[in-house]
Parts: sequence; structure tokens; C-alpha cells
Amino acid sequence: MKGMLPLLLLRPDAFFSERIKEAEDLKIPGIIVIIGAIIAAAGAYLLSGIYTGLFSAAAGEGMASVMGIISAISAFFAFIIIWWLIFSGVFYLLSMAFTGSGTFRRTLEFVGYGLVPVIIGVIISAIVSLYYLPMVEVPVISNIQDPAAVQRVMSDILADPAFREYTQISSILSVIFLAWSANLWIFGIRHARALSFRNGIIVVLIPVVIFAIYTLYMAFIGTPFIGGS
Amino acid sequence: MKSSIVLVIFGLIACSQFIPLVVAQDTGDGAAQIEVSSVDINPGVFFEGDTGIVTIEIVNNGQDSVAIRRATMYDADISILSSSYDTTTNVGAGNRMLFTFTIKADVPPGIYYPSFSLDFRDAGYLRYPVQVRVENDPLEISVLNKPDSYSVGRKEQIDIMVGNPRDNSVGSVIVHFRGAALDPAPSSSFIGTLDPDQARQVSLNITPQESTKLDIIVDYKNGINPHSSLVSLPIVFGESKKQADPILSNILVEYENGKYTLTGDVTNAGLEVANSVVLSVGDGAQPVNPYREYVVGSLQPDDFSSFEITFLAENTSQVQVNVKYRDVDGNPYQRATPIVIPPKNSVKERSSGISPPIIAVILVSVAVIGGAIWYSWKKR
Repeated sequence: MKGMLPLLLLRPDAFFSERIKEAEDLKIPGIIVIIGAIIAAAGAYLLSGIYTGLFSAAAGEGMASVMGIISAISAFFAFIIIWWLIFSGVFYLLSMAFTGSGTFRRTLEFVGYGLVPVIIGVIISAIVSLYYLPMVEVPVISNIQDPAAVQRVMSDILADPAFREYTQISSILSVIFLAWSANLWIFGIRHARALSFRNGIIVVLIPVVIFAIYTLYMAFIGTPFIGGS
Repeated sequence: MKSSIVLVIFGLIACSQFIPLVVAQDTGDGAAQIEVSSVDINPGVFFEGDTGIVTIEIVNNGQDSVAIRRATMYDADISILSSSYDTTTNVGAGNRMLFTFTIKADVPPGIYYPSFSLDFRDAGYLRYPVQVRVENDPLEISVLNKPDSYSVGRKEQIDIMVGNPRDNSVGSVIVHFRGAALDPAPSSSFIGTLDPDQARQVSLNITPQESTKLDIIVDYKNGINPHSSLVSLPIVFGESKKQADPILSNILVEYENGKYTLTGDVTNAGLEVANSVVLSVGDGAQPVNPYREYVVGSLQPDDFSSFEITFLAENTSQVQVNVKYRDVDGNPYQRATPIVIPPKNSVKERSSGISPPIIAVILVSVAVIGGAIWYSWKKR
């Protein structure tokens, strides 16, 4: 275990070539993913703090706390499902086109290892949110029963300069660290599915580039969504 | 036998001159046989100046008829309008007879005893005092419920009670409501007979258009004599204590995309519901799309709603926001609230660029990750 992380981040080819020789083991990738999910949940809870003032006037403090917990639980499972299961599944399916071999369990294992940079990005995004969120001017919603009022307040939040800037910065960081993870996944998928470098790059970059474009598009052009990371 | 019959007839003829004397003697006891069986006075209690009818019934309790020469009524205070009965008449044994007199109570309130006098033809007379009461207590009109204040064109309900404090019934009681520009509904209310110590409630609605007074007139008859009671109710406009009171708060004005956007909350701080609440800008502003006006709808007491209005304003720092609403009867109200608007050049500053620390974080991340990726490919 000692020296595993530097080897993973700096020499992923050597790391995965060693791991492929060992039996499939999801314990360490699972721990990595769980840690990432917990950090994502914490970030979502921090972000939900802006709703405290939003709903406390109309529905009480209890409502705001419940919303924070719901946001955290959603982020926890969203991280596991999107970053681990869906990306592994897409890589596995795409690699089938290049006659890749190897089990899905091995793909899950290596994709899990490759999530370490994404988790670092989530941590940095959470730290950046501590800088931006206090600057967000949250209007108080006066009547939670009024859909127009709720929509208007949500629009105000999403249009807030600080919130919008945070969303964009968070998306940029997400894409930057996603690129690092993609680099790890290229080596990981190549070993897990016995692909050539060229095919490994294709298998990984197709979904990653699509995801990155989507993230940047939503942050800069489309309707920004809360928690851009 | 024949001679005896002649003697009897002769005897009868001889005694026939004494028969009238025997009847006269019986008639002379007429006062003892005749008595007053009932007295009816209508109305039961007179107002001062009222005209009424006294009906006296006599009965002959004797075995013989009684001849009456004259029946009359007299009193020093009460005026007897009808004539005496001056024709001699007989009241048969066990028979009854009515005598009716019209009287006028031109006397102050009190109790009077005009006398009924019956003179018998042959001897004796009967004197019977009849009690006549005179009171001047009119029907009472009590206002049970009325608004604290009135507003132009606002329908209000007024409840009154009409009571009879007299000791006799009064009839044909009708309540009339009169007043300029009041449009009372109903215009009158028929009660009919009102028994002693009884009261009836009457409700009416008025819709005043100007400050005036409402006259509540109760017309009634005491017997055949018309009377009326009057109560005047001042109708003065003022602010109702319960009426809806829309208050604007949480006001935020921003200038964006060439127009002002005013958002806020409107709260009904009154005690009555405000219907059809519509907000719009008034003096000093020109409404523009998309929110030229904002329809809130109904606002219950203590309820509130958000609103948004868009408008243009030139060379002014203050605009009026008009709140139009209606009460439960549909009466329109309007309230204007002055709102200070910021100058166009001091609107909220938007994004001022990414701060240097964040740029540094991004650049360092790019450098570190770029280096790591380069290194990973170099050392593979």
C-alpha cells in the first residue's frame, strides 16, 4: 500500500500493470469511491446552506435542514452511480467494440482507482465554495405556496454573480481533474480490457469529452445547475 | 153558569184600569234588573288627542222587560263626540243591548272616568263610570347593529329593533327608511300588529354615496289614530376598522435590460378579505411588459403574496405603486404606496471577474495535472 498513491497518480501504467497481475479486489477502489461520495455529500450540504435563508422564512428552519440532508444523500449516491458505475459501464461497453477482454469487475476496480483525481477536484471545489457561497445574496422567499415566487427566487439565485461564478469555476476545476482521471483511466482500461493505447484513449476520451463539454456548456451557456462539480 | 161568566168578564173590565199601575211598579225596579255586562274601549290606551270608541253592553237580568228612555255618556274632560241615545226602547227580559260612544281624549296623560248614564222611562237611572287611560309612550326604535364607519358605495347592514312599551297593541306597524343617496333595501318593512311589550327586529342595507342621515320612521295606528316614531342615524364616511389593508414590503427595485423590475410582497394586514388584488405602477412610471400589472387575486387576512412589476421611469426618484382590491360586496378600493427607485447608474454591479486566488488555484491545478500527465506518459 505504501507508495501506491504516487505510483497511481504519476506512473499509472506501472501501477495498473502491477494490479492486473493480482486478483480482482474492489475493497480499495470501493473505499476510494465511498470517500469521494462522502466529500461530495459534504459539499452538497454546504451548498444547501444558501437555501436555509430561502426557506426558513416560509417553511421554518426544519425544512432547510431536511433539504440539506436530502441534498447530501443525493450527492452521495449520485457520485457513486455517475462517476463509478456509469463511467465503468460506458468504458466496458465501448471497449467491447475493440474486442476488449476482461471482466466488468476489473473495469470497476480500475475506474475506482482512477477516481482519485476527481475526488481531489471535489475537495478543491468544496474549498472554493467556502469562498463564494457567503457572497451569494439569497432572497427570502415569502410564500412557498406561490410557484411564481419560488421560480423567481430560484432564478435570482442562479443569476447571482457570485453563485454563477462559483458554478463556472467549479465546472472548470471538475473538467481539469476529470482530465487527470481520464489519463489514469486510459492506462487502467487498457490493462483491464487488454486494449491498445490507441483504443484505450478512444474508449476513455469519448465519454469523458462528452461529459466535459456538457459540464462546461451548462455552466457557461445553458441553465446552470446547482453543484456544478 | 152563564151569569158567573158575565161576572168574571165584568170583574176583569173593572180591574183593567189597575194593570198599568202594576207594570209601572215593575219598571220602577228596572235599575235593579239592568246591569253593565261588558265595556270595550278601542284603543285600549289613548294617546293625547286620540279618538276612540267606547262600547257598553247592558243586560236585563230581570223577569220583565225594562223601558229605557235615554242613554248617554258625559265627562268634564273627555269629549264625547257622538250623540246620546234619546229614543225610548225596551230591553226584554234576559236580553242584551249595546251602546257605542265616540270619545276624543283631548286631555293630558292620566286616567279618566267618563260616566255612562242610563235613564229608565218610568223611574230610576243607572250610572256607570268607564275607565279611560291616556298615555303618550310611542313605539321605541333601537339600533342594534351598525357599521363603525361608512365608505362611498360600500353596502352596509343596519339592524334595528322596534318595541312596543305601551299597555295596548298597536296595528299597521310599518318601518320606512329614508335618506338622500342611501339606496336603502328594503325601502320599508311591514310588521303589522305589535302586542304590548313585544319587539321585532328589522334589517336593512344601505349603500351611501354621500354623507347624509338615515331616517328610520315607524308608522303605526293606535285604534284609528295614526302615529309615528322617528330615529335619525348620521351616515358619516370614515375608515373601517375591519377593512382589508394591503401593505407592501420586501420591496426590491432593480434596473436591468432597459427597464425597472420591482419585486416585493403584498400582505393583507386588515381583518377582512381583499378580493381581486391587482398591483400596478401609478404616477411617475410607465408600465412595460412582461409585468405591466400583477394580479394577486384574493388575499385573506394575514395572508401575503409576492408580486413583480416592470416599468419605465424617467427623471424621477419615486414612483407610486397602486394596489386595487375589492371587498366581499365588490366595492372597489385603491391604495397608493410611494416607492423610491434607484438611479439607473447605481444598479447592482454584476460579475467583476474571477478573483486572483481562484485563478491561481486553477493555474496551479492545470500545471500540476499537466505535469503529472506528461510524467505518466514519459515514464510508462
